[in-house]
Amino acid sequence: MARSVWKGPFVDGYMLAKAETSRASGRNEIIKIWSRRSTILPQFVGLTFGVYNGKKFLPVQVSENMVGHKFGEFSPTRTFTGHSADKKAKRG
Amino acid sequence: MGVIGRPHGVRGHVRVTAYTAEPRALADYPLTDQTGRRLQLRWVSGDVAEISELTADGARKINDRDAAARLTNTELFAPRSALPPAEEDEFYLADLMGMSAFDAAQKPLGTVSNIHDYGAGTSLEISRDAAAPVIVPFTRQAVPHIDLAARSIIVALPGEIIVENTGDAA
Repeated sequence: MARSVWKGPFVDGYMLAKAETSRASGRNEIIKIWSRRSTILPQFVGLTFGVYNGKKFLPVQVSENMVGHKFGEFSPTRTFTGHSADKKAKRG
Repeated sequence: MGVIGRPHGVRGHVRVTAYTAEPRALADYPLTDQTGRRLQLRWVSGDVAEISELTADGARKINDRDAAARLTNTELFAPRSALPPAEEDEFYLADLMGMSAFDAAQKPLGTVSNIHDYGAGTSLEISRDAAAPVIVPFTRQAVPHIDLAARSIIVALPGEIIVENTGDAA
């Protein structure tokens, strides 16, 4: 069953304050979090979180398209270290 | 670039697993196997392809199942020069892997050992000899300089804000 709308999106409360702190500092920082269950809110856009996957903190650069998803979706706990061949990476 | 799988049918066709970003593009590359034998691939349907061996006399098509079965598990390679040039600020993962990482003061940090991309931006994992690996986002702020010729990158390690899990929820 989907979460009731009247409750609003779930997010661990301390993250809002830390996101504000990081945004106010304006520095190139990674916010390390363990809360994979928290929903990505619009105020997180542009920040970089290090989301724990049980072993490592994987950097998650929050963009507008990610709003409404959970942090854990972008930090898989099972890693495919597969073949890349001609795959390219764009520097953000 | 890919691996030849099991034979398909009796006409020498084989299943091929392509590791290229666009699987059909595998046929466009000049392919060789581990021994340097030149091979040509033509897609027939789905992941089924027809393989020809290129020799000085011309192309010799693999046209029976036994010959196709002998190709099973053959890895396919293409020369680096065959890949199209990358655009600005775009880098082949194969080029980034194994690069030496230095900090802003040119002090060695480690080696790029893995590249992560799960839909939230690319990040580089830098393994270090005497410490745990460090993962940095692949951005201009964190990786301001990349020298492909010297196979080295300059990394500006981002600061960390550690958030303890207090269990509060909003």
